[in-house]
Amino acid sequence: MTKLLEVEGLSKNFGGLQVSSDISMTLNAGDRCALIGPNGAGKTTFVNLVTGVIPPSAGTIRLDGQDITKLPAAERVRLGLIRSFQVARLFKSMTVREHLELAVLQRGRRTFRLFANVAKVAGLADEVAGLLDTMGLSQVAHTAVGSLAYGQQRLLEIALALAMKPKVLILDEPAAGVPHSESQRILDAIDRLPRELAVLMIEHDMDLVFRFARTIVVLAQGRLLCSGTAREIVADPRVREVYLGSRADAH
Amino acid sequence: METMFGIAVDGVAYGMILFIISVGLSVTLGLMRVVNLAHGAFAMVGGYVASYAAQNAGLPYGLALVVAVALTVLATLPLERLLYRRIYGSANELAQVLLTIGLTFVIVAGINYLFGPTLKRIPLPEMLTGTVELGPKAIPTHRAFVIGAGAATLLGLWWLLERTDFGIRLRAAVDDPAMAAALGIRTERLYLATFALGTGLAALGGVLGAELLPLEPYYAIRYIVLFLAVVAVGGAGSIFGSAAAALALGIVDTAGKYLIPNFGEFFFYVALILILFRWPHGFFKGRAA
Amino acid sequence: MTSVAERPDPMTDPMSRHTPPAARRDLGWIGIPLVAAVGLAAYWLLPDDLALLTRIAASALFVLSLDLVLGYGGIATLGQAAMFGTGAYAAGIVAVNWNSDPFVMLAAGGLAGGLVALVTGALILHARGLTLLMLTIAVGQIVQEVANKARDWTGGSDGLSGIDPAPVLGLFRFDMFGRTSYLFALAVLVAGLMVARRIVRSPFGLACRGVREDPLRISAIGGSPKSYLVALYGVAGVFAGVAGALTAVTSGIVGLDSAGFPWSAEALVMLVLGGTGRLYGAVIGTAAFMGIHHVLAASDPFHWMGFIGLFLIGIVLFLPGGIASGFERLGALLRGKENRA
Repeated sequence: MTKLLEVEGLSKNFGGLQVSSDISMTLNAGDRCALIGPNGAGKTTFVNLVTGVIPPSAGTIRLDGQDITKLPAAERVRLGLIRSFQVARLFKSMTVREHLELAVLQRGRRTFRLFANVAKVAGLADEVAGLLDTMGLSQVAHTAVGSLAYGQQRLLEIALALAMKPKVLILDEPAAGVPHSESQRILDAIDRLPRELAVLMIEHDMDLVFRFARTIVVLAQGRLLCSGTAREIVADPRVREVYLGSRADAH
Repeated sequence: METMFGIAVDGVAYGMILFIISVGLSVTLGLMRVVNLAHGAFAMVGGYVASYAAQNAGLPYGLALVVAVALTVLATLPLERLLYRRIYGSANELAQVLLTIGLTFVIVAGINYLFGPTLKRIPLPEMLTGTVELGPKAIPTHRAFVIGAGAATLLGLWWLLERTDFGIRLRAAVDDPAMAAALGIRTERLYLATFALGTGLAALGGVLGAELLPLEPYYAIRYIVLFLAVVAVGGAGSIFGSAAAALALGIVDTAGKYLIPNFGEFFFYVALILILFRWPHGFFKGRAA
Repeated sequence: MTSVAERPDPMTDPMSRHTPPAARRDLGWIGIPLVAAVGLAAYWLLPDDLALLTRIAASALFVLSLDLVLGYGGIATLGQAAMFGTGAYAAGIVAVNWNSDPFVMLAAGGLAGGLVALVTGALILHARGLTLLMLTIAVGQIVQEVANKARDWTGGSDGLSGIDPAPVLGLFRFDMFGRTSYLFALAVLVAGLMVARRIVRSPFGLACRGVREDPLRISAIGGSPKSYLVALYGVAGVFAGVAGALTAVTSGIVGLDSAGFPWSAEALVMLVLGGTGRLYGAVIGTAAFMGIHHVLAASDPFHWMGFIGLFLIGIVLFLPGGIASGFERLGALLRGKENRA
């Protein structure tokens, strides 16, 4: 099995505050892994460290065997480490189709073509049509994103990530803000992701986690508490204590 | 040696004028986040009012100065209420540029209508026309007066911002507008007062600097670039930054004119680009009050 | 917010709004022939104002370059005239010293404008807000100052005169009535509009729109916002340089004010009058601005300043929802008219 993402001893301190300490984990091709943990466990910090938004204090990150610890965020994206955003962050005046065109063109480094016609770039229309179809967005292809329903914006976020041909895909709460009854559609879309992809999902909603994940990693207070299959995690008393305990606090 | 002394005196005097006018722009930019391209027009209005008061109404220089500053502030306060209030905040950059360019055009046209296109002077009183002895050197009295006025403005502003209630609230609002509002600082009144302070300083500089920046209707467009340059280098909202930047630019510009008469302005703008390339938020931002 | 729950399946939902694909772009095809047609009509209808019409055509190309920068890249600049002036001087110097073929002059202008834009853009486009405005102004002042001091080449404050362009294609002489000048300027403007339209519809244009809306999101899909902006600035610099060269060809003289701050500011005013981000807005705005200028300034240039000043203030204040939305509506209005036509 190909190790796509290897994180070793990743740590981060802000001033004297240790927000992530000594986190190690591996994602293989085809993995469907969920990263969970109570609020303030350091999930977002972890994602920001891995994607290069903030530099780590210690540790290494390798993507498909290549050390990317010191690479800037945009370079990691080009190598295939893609994230979707927790809050849909899209270009409001551009249509769904234009978003996907832009992402595909950017991936192929064809965005500095000044005199080409977007409509006539070889292979672009087919690829975009395929993405629209996979995510069930064909009907709204020509709608400006500003007037799109929120659930559809989330689907577009995932489609955008997919358009960049990721090796490792990090989904940051892909169903946040979407009504519970509709999260199934998001999950369906995630099910249709290419099999060989390694997917890491950060999620609060335990229903979603159990429906999606084959393995689960639990963070608490910036540390890796435990990891294992869904069954093992459910049975782990430490998880119950940390997770349920803090959940009770939140109310 | 004579030349160096001349450069120093003229450069510092020129810098002080730039400082007095620009610091008003800097304070309004720092607090209200408004790029006020009409600031030069306000300085020009001050100069014209003083010129009229002195030449046509026969007021003495000092009184003309006071009348000019007061009238300019009074005349521009309604603009704050009617126009500027709508475009505060850095999100409105394009609207600010357009509205204040528009206002500048209107003021230029109005000044021309009222006073005509010719150069206007503010006659200096006898007291300011000679020279003062400074040891073995003699300085034109007007230059000495301008330098003194600039220093007084700097001290006065320092006192106002560091030692008064208004200053404390102003600094709080510049540092953290949300926090200031939460603490119950009434930003509307604070904005109005700050705007008045800014235009008052512009008018003061317009009057004092009439010998160095001659009064004609295109004044408002011609010199605004200089004032913006001072603010950009000094850092928005920084008084000592404005002073240092204005003096530096004044001396560099004057030295350029004396020593390399062909390339004065050229050096000025090259220096500006280099400084802003290295310190995009202004050379003095975060180093001074 | 319309939630997914309230909506039926998007696959079958007839309520999903369909913006007709690229509705705004469709106008482009009508807009460019329209500019050509109106331009030609003006040639026959206003034979005594050809000098003014020529200035409008050349200036419109300059304002078009600003629209690329501001309307498609979101770069607020008060120094676009730096590239215009550079292009004008380059064309003039080439004509006076080496080759006065009008196309060679345009090429020299475009090249010079593009180079200055690329070099200065790489230096200044990391900045934002007042700092960027200031830097663009400073670049313009430097160009102007260099032109002022390099008297031997540029004529300094007297201006560069004695530019005598050769006949277009060796066939059409620049006549004393300015007929050739105008038709040449109109042709270059129409060609410029076509190229600009091509660029904004290209992958590059798409990426630039993305940068204007959200530079960080562009980084998140692996792009570099600054390199897009610098490239766009360079492209717009070519347009501005060609516009400057066109002015040199048609007027035969280049002055220091061609690189000055007021000319940059005026271009901004013209663009906003016509509407940003739609290319032909540049033409409409320039024609309106310079047309009214011609009428009002004939009596007193200050009346004109007062008028345009009030107009600007009015635009900012009385178009609710900001300038952009106001021009959307103006655009829709014009679109209706042009569709009917």
